[in-house]
Amino acid sequence: MPLSAITPYALHIAAAIGALGLYLLIRPGNPRVRTAGTLLGVAGAALFVAAAIRGLNRAFDGSAAGSLPVVPAVMGLIAIAGAARMVTHPKPVFAALYFILVVVSTAGMFLALQAEFMAFALIIVYAGAILITYMFVLMLAQQSPTESVGDVEGGTNYDRVPREPIAAIAVGFLLLATLGDSLFSTQSELRHTARPATVTDAAERTWRELEAMPRRLDATVSKLRAGAVPIPFADGRLIHVAKDGSAMVHVQVADGGVVSFLDLPLSDDQAPTNTQSVGLALVSSFPASLELASVILLMAMFGAVVLARKQIELGDDERREAAGMRRISMDDPDPPSSSGFTSGGSTSSAATVGGTAPGAGGGRS
Amino acid sequence: MILRPAPILAETAVSAAGVYAASPQLLQLSLAVSVLLFVIGLVGFLTRRNMIMMFLCTELMMQAAALAFVTFSRMHMNTSGQVFVIFILTVAAAEAALALGLVVLLYRKKETLSIEAWSELKEC
Amino acid sequence: MLNMLALAAASSAPNAALPAVHSAAGDAHAGAEGAANALSGWISGAIAAPELSWAGWILGLPALAAIVCWVCAALRVKNKLPAIVTVAALGGAFGLTLALYFSYTGHYHSPVTVHLYDWMRFGWTAEGGSGAAFGSAEAFIADFGLYIDGLTLFWMLFVTGLGTLIALYASEYMESDVGGDYCRFFGSVSIFLLSMGCLVMGGNLALLYLGWEGVGVASYLLIGYYYGKPTAVAAAKKAFVMNRIGDLGLLVGIFLVWRHFGSIDFATIFKAVSQPVAADAHWSMGLIPFFLMLGAFGKSAQIPLFTWLPDAMEGPTPVSALIHAATMVTAGVYLIARMYPFFLLHPDALHTVAWIGGMTAFVAATIGLLQYDMKRVFAYSTVSQLGFMFLGLGVGTTFGAGYHVFTHAFFKALLFLASGAVMHGFAGQLDIRKISGLRNVPGFKIVSWTMFVGCLWLAAFPFSAGFFSKDEILYVAMTDPVHGSPVLAWIGLFTAFLTAYYTFRVWFRVCAGPVAFQPGEESHGHFHPHPPRVAINGVLAVLAIGAVLAGVPAYIAFFGGENWAEHMIGMSSAAQGVPSLGTSAAEHAGSAAHPTILGFDGHIAMFALSTIAGLAGLSLAWYFHLANRKAADSLKQSLLANPLVGWLPRALENKWYVDEIYDALFRKPMWAIGYVFAFVDKHLVDGTLVLGSGRLTAGLGRVFQPLYNGVLQGYAVTMAGGLGLILAWIVWAWMGGGGT
Repeated sequence: MPLSAITPYALHIAAAIGALGLYLLIRPGNPRVRTAGTLLGVAGAALFVAAAIRGLNRAFDGSAAGSLPVVPAVMGLIAIAGAARMVTHPKPVFAALYFILVVVSTAGMFLALQAEFMAFALIIVYAGAILITYMFVLMLAQQSPTESVGDVEGGTNYDRVPREPIAAIAVGFLLLATLGDSLFSTQSELRHTARPATVTDAAERTWRELEAMPRRLDATVSKLRAGAVPIPFADGRLIHVAKDGSAMVHVQVADGGVVSFLDLPLSDDQAPTNTQSVGLALVSSFPASLELASVILLMAMFGAVVLARKQIELGDDERREAAGMRRISMDDPDPPSSSGFTSGGSTSSAATVGGTAPGAGGGRS
Repeated sequence: MILRPAPILAETAVSAAGVYAASPQLLQLSLAVSVLLFVIGLVGFLTRRNMIMMFLCTELMMQAAALAFVTFSRMHMNTSGQVFVIFILTVAAAEAALALGLVVLLYRKKETLSIEAWSELKEC
Repeated sequence: MLNMLALAAASSAPNAALPAVHSAAGDAHAGAEGAANALSGWISGAIAAPELSWAGWILGLPALAAIVCWVCAALRVKNKLPAIVTVAALGGAFGLTLALYFSYTGHYHSPVTVHLYDWMRFGWTAEGGSGAAFGSAEAFIADFGLYIDGLTLFWMLFVTGLGTLIALYASEYMESDVGGDYCRFFGSVSIFLLSMGCLVMGGNLALLYLGWEGVGVASYLLIGYYYGKPTAVAAAKKAFVMNRIGDLGLLVGIFLVWRHFGSIDFATIFKAVSQPVAADAHWSMGLIPFFLMLGAFGKSAQIPLFTWLPDAMEGPTPVSALIHAATMVTAGVYLIARMYPFFLLHPDALHTVAWIGGMTAFVAATIGLLQYDMKRVFAYSTVSQLGFMFLGLGVGTTFGAGYHVFTHAFFKALLFLASGAVMHGFAGQLDIRKISGLRNVPGFKIVSWTMFVGCLWLAAFPFSAGFFSKDEILYVAMTDPVHGSPVLAWIGLFTAFLTAYYTFRVWFRVCAGPVAFQPGEESHGHFHPHPPRVAINGVLAVLAIGAVLAGVPAYIAFFGGENWAEHMIGMSSAAQGVPSLGTSAAEHAGSAAHPTILGFDGHIAMFALSTIAGLAGLSLAWYFHLANRKAADSLKQSLLANPLVGWLPRALENKWYVDEIYDALFRKPMWAIGYVFAFVDKHLVDGTLVLGSGRLTAGLGRVFQPLYNGVLQGYAVTMAGGLGLILAWIVWAWMGGGGT
């Protein structure tokens, strides 16, 4: 079969190879199977990426073709490998550690995409906070695993043996093939129409952002030329962006009483950083969402506190007392603390303390 | 919903510093990695029986979504995508906290993290 | 016997060549035009008479009585109220019938239609026209209305009269059952009379059919009155089913009438049938009389549908008297008489009727010779007399048949009621070998002597009413050149001989001779005969007087007047069967020759022949059953011993094995078919289709059940799989996606 006949289906074949590889990895088996699975998985992932990019190259007809940037590619592969290992590892703690690896590589890709703030935010929040919480819980909720025997890795039964692997992998890779087709296909109407921004558009947006930050602009201009103050152009804008992407700012310099007007070119260094643009966007375009996000976090805190309470069951009298009503029974209004209290749920040592018995029952726990 | 075909314009230039635009190959790569991560996360969610592992795979899927968002944000030079990633992080954090609390409570009930212990919605 | 037949054959040929005009009626010498005019008037010109709509109460009163009686049955009323209500209602109906008779005769000279209610009106032309063109049907209209002419009144008089009398009789006879059963009895009797009224007075074939079915239902209810007795239940079912077979014929006949004449209203169809038949009429028009006669055979117990009537004696005796002697079984005769013009549509129709009637009369008489149960003898006698009536219809004398119906009603009811009195008094004993000398038993004198009157009339003793009516039938059979059949007439004479014999066999055995009796099965301990009281004796006396009076019209005719019955029947659609008005008169009017039998004048010869037959039978019976009873037994032994004829008495005693033949021919195959269908129903329909579809559904459910195992990831797989499939369809099928 000539290669050209298969290549339209390169995406699908890559997906299938990757599926097979993942399947071999996911079952608990001997090392040979695992090696084979690893090789297949790597091959599949590489093929997939290559097919995606090749499609891009073909669309270019060779012009404006570029080479694959190496560092992001390596980081991508590390991310995929880490994800695969996370999914197949029988010990949950290791899986969490591999997840941290995935997070770090993804952060690296963010860097390659010039989203520095996001990269470090990801590392700080995800790897630093969320995953540490996961680790805590994993260590608290562990059951005694079976010991590793020879080549078979140890772990609890529900960690070692996957659940319906065939069905899951089939479904997953069906999705992979369809998503891949919709994103990377060049032979149908499915190619993404969203054009990457042109240089002109990109430059325009970037310098508009700087315009929206007046103090920053003033500081920049002052640094460029002492005592310079930006003045609007004839069209009312402060920064003029040319077609090739270069920008300049119209300034007024007051130099010992002499007022002169200059056009200062702005270089790429003076463009706002990613952090600044993200901040600007957050505050100017999405203030409501910002507030909502904070509310979500507040609710999460409340939820966590509520979940962590110890369950206390009150007797009837105590309930009525708590509600401010009269007691009914003729019993001693101060019964001893041992009766009428049951702690719901477990008896194991929970990390959360805080039985809050309201009202007159305060202090009993 | 018919997407019109459009070639990637040749005037997309690669600038040295890469400030203004990103190379198409990088974008394709990011999208491909995002899709692969998502699918791996889905497979993991469907196969793992440990409740915490399931949530971890969910987090992986959210990671993939975040990567896709950032890719598109870079593609269109629009910071809205990255703002949305912030919100994804927020929600992921909130959800992780609550989910882990619930998982702990469930663990206390049945002394096991296996999700098959909680199959009371079944029909028979 | 054979000589007589040969002589008849020889003499019928010259008779057929002579024109025959029957001159019993004084004014039959009126011109052919007059006869023809009268005839056409009676069958083609009906007028509406709304002023007679009170005649609807003749139907309404029994209906009310029925409702009251059934309500009493539901409330388990324990007194004689149902009987009082029924007798009152029927008496009122009789009174209304008399009033109707007096207001009709002499005032109207054509049939009268009375419209009571709109009932069925289906039309499918724009106007829903009625009685469309000849042969094309555009509407079906059946209104609840009456059609009154001479035949109607003739029939209704004895139906309502006898109904009242027998209801009165039954009020004492059934008194031991007072309670729910008593009410049920009188409710059914009321239903019966309502249906008989619909049948006779109905203005269209649909009402006739309604009444037909209604009397069948009432007969079923009443035969099966003792529903605890399995034989009674079986007899009721047999009667109903055999009637149904005949009813199918009637129904097809009604359909054919509608199809060919466009309507089922009597006024319309008689007008239509009096037109000359179109040359290109469909051949099925000639089948109308055959289907109608099949219905008549079922209802009136002719061959082949006669075996239900003897079994119907399982019902109470008043039922046997009213329904199975006097009124219901004459419905077939009425049908043929009413639809007489239709029986002229096919040349063989009347011949078929005559032959069936004649054969039935003969066969039933032979069976009656050797029955020992009094009611059975009279039942076979009824079948035989009905055969005579059909013979009369078939040879062209509706007058003879109708008059015989009239007289037969009286004396047969009398005979049955007398048997009932015997049964009532002797705790259910009806075997004629076990009762003797009844006329000398104290309290049974009236019973015995009224029974004597009835037997004389049945045996057609000279100068009795039964004699005149039977004589008329045989005369026309012997001499009518168009429809008559001398063969049948001789067979009829022989049957008359047999009739006289078996009738008096019963009377001489039961009522004459030394007094000796054994009680029946219903006696307990020490037994005394229980003589009847006023109600029974009174009714028997009234009936005997009525039977005598029924002969009066014949006497009037004998001495030159007009027979009232002939006059009444002549005023109807059966007029073509009245010899003075019928086709033979129209064709041969004016001729003065009289028909001859064996060389003598027709009437006198017939008179003599009938007398000889009757007296011969009577004397034979006297010899064997009164004078020398031992001779009967020795004769029977010698007959049985003789191998040549030994089978005959056994066959006669076993009713010619007709029931057994029917069982083998029809019942067993039906059972077999029933089993086949039961198997199909149980295993194929129920098992495969019904249960199978249930199991299929359950099985399908079990296939998909593992999807619902409650584990979250199973559901997630399904969801993701579904999402994947939808995406796959969108990407690959709808958008035609491909690879890179």
